[in-house]
Amino acid sequence: MSLAVSSPEKAMKANHIVENLKKEIENFRSQVKVEKVGQVLEVFDGIAKISGLSDIKSSEMVTFSNGETGVVLNLEEDTVGAIILGDFSKIKEGDEVKATGKILEVAVSNSILGRVVNAIGVPIDGKGAIKADKSYPIEKVAPGVVTRLSVSEPVATGIKVIDSIIPIGRGQRELIIGDRQTGKTALVVDSILNQKGQNMVCVYVSIGQKDSKLRKIEARLEEGGAMDYTVIVKASASEAAALSYIAPYTGVAIAEYFMDQKKDVLIIYDDLSKHAIAYREISLLLRRPPGREAYPGDVFYLHSRLLERACRRSEKYGGGSITALPIIETQAGDVTAYIPTNVISITDGQIFLETDLFYKGIRPAVNVGLSVSRVGSGAQIKAMKKVAGTLKLDLAQFRELEAFAQFGSDLDDATKSQLERGKRAVEVLKQLQYAPVRTEHQVVTLYALTKGFMDDVPVEKIKEFEQGLTEYSERQAKVFYKEIMEKKMWSDKGEEELKKVITDFKTSRATLGASS
Amino acid sequence: MTAISNNNIARAIYLAAKDKNQAEQYPIFSKVVQFLVRRRLLAKAPDILLLLDKIINNDEGRVTAKVSSAEKLDHKTKLHIEQSLQKRYSAKKIILNEIINAKLLGGFKVEIGDEVIDLTIKNKIGKLQEHLLGDETAK
Repeated sequence: MSLAVSSPEKAMKANHIVENLKKEIENFRSQVKVEKVGQVLEVFDGIAKISGLSDIKSSEMVTFSNGETGVVLNLEEDTVGAIILGDFSKIKEGDEVKATGKILEVAVSNSILGRVVNAIGVPIDGKGAIKADKSYPIEKVAPGVVTRLSVSEPVATGIKVIDSIIPIGRGQRELIIGDRQTGKTALVVDSILNQKGQNMVCVYVSIGQKDSKLRKIEARLEEGGAMDYTVIVKASASEAAALSYIAPYTGVAIAEYFMDQKKDVLIIYDDLSKHAIAYREISLLLRRPPGREAYPGDVFYLHSRLLERACRRSEKYGGGSITALPIIETQAGDVTAYIPTNVISITDGQIFLETDLFYKGIRPAVNVGLSVSRVGSGAQIKAMKKVAGTLKLDLAQFRELEAFAQFGSDLDDATKSQLERGKRAVEVLKQLQYAPVRTEHQVVTLYALTKGFMDDVPVEKIKEFEQGLTEYSERQAKVFYKEIMEKKMWSDKGEEELKKVITDFKTSRATLGASS
Repeated sequence: MTAISNNNIARAIYLAAKDKNQAEQYPIFSKVVQFLVRRRLLAKAPDILLLLDKIINNDEGRVTAKVSSAEKLDHKTKLHIEQSLQKRYSAKKIILNEIINAKLLGGFKVEIGDEVIDLTIKNKIGKLQEHLLGDETAK
């Protein structure tokens, strides 16, 4: 075997490497310091019991002799219990464990945008290392009441039913709750896609999801050009429970880094039910006493301290905001289970998705009656508030009348017209996946609906009408569109123009229909 | 009822037997054994004794240090280690347990309780490796 360098160029290169190494070695200074060291007593299911480490603090990071890191959760009299963030199969009994004196941190920088990182912030998308700018601790006390502003700016999700009836503001925490296969993830992916050009950074935290599902989401975001302003934090179902437990905190630490640059951030936790399950697993393995549904006593605090970090900060204290959209998966529509009730009480409202609606073809399958947004209405733009004002009531009355109308056929004209309006409202609020609608278009459509311009359009033609109207009005109602974009409300002049445009559009449709 | 820890038992034994002569200590020790048998804690006796040893050492200002080195340390170095440890832990006496481990390559390592002062060549090489690799990944 010959290792001889074949050409002078290669020899030069080798010399250069040796020189560099020499320099590095000369610069190297090792410091003498006293280290706190413990020994692994037992390892099982991602948990390590360690002896020694007398002065260690809770949540402190430790390093194992094979390079893996751990986080101390249990402090007992003679031992400490730690979760292992990584491969625990190579850690043996008797291995040395060093205390680091630091709590777990995640390396952050602007170049993290567009990347997929694991639960401790290490890139896993094969696009190389991320040059760290700063380190952010994953556990941090939420901003205090003095530093906060009330929610007043909207997050445009591009989903008509949300933007009109259950509006979300920047800095709000809005829960998305529903059974499996009701379109919870689809809703948030659409929201991310719609943030393009809205000056928003998105963090999508995937907790305990299938890798195939995440791959699909990533491809969709890439296709829609959304990865330019999005970070994906991944703790998949195949990874240890400890990583699922850490992932949302890592996500919010990344979000805080961007908030500190006065940016608005949208963070999605998909989903917190699996996060609670991962924490239950860890707690039971650490022999903490189980409570209701075998969750530990501090499962409320687990989510409240995470969601409290969503906020809108005043300019004086650095500005920026974090809007959180946690997702909870219910079992057979049971919102009274432990975790759903906890998270409902923590958040500022919920969007409730229903299987029945989904299979009826009403998608997004949002149950408007059960969904609320406690602070979002303050963030809605004036124009939207005006058109959506009566929509919720109309829909609620429609649902009541719909049930009633099934029993009898003799209905008075007012009831009939209410029913017809309701049917059209439901139709207008339906929306295809990956097709977010711009706010201006939403305003035009809802204006046409609430002012009765759609009453004579057959229900099955509503979608077609809506599409035609938005395209036509954008070309014709220039004043109205300009006012909505700039002043967020129309003037009398703009309204007159829109009315005329809608009437013209209807006439042109009628003549087209007659001629064909 | 809260479980009694090994540390509690060791401390109780120490306090009961402290400042007593051998004749007085005998009935105490027999009672301790009876207690351990009654509470089915006899299996924990080695751990309790270890803790008792620690408590006695602590109280009398004795510090046990484990010194590992690649080769046998000379008298001067040992004395130097003892003196600096005495100062650091404000101990009356330092007991050195010497261990020869050729894998350390050179230098020595002192372990006291869960504190470690690692001055071995092996550790330094490890740190150098970390330094070089760490620079590589940052680039």
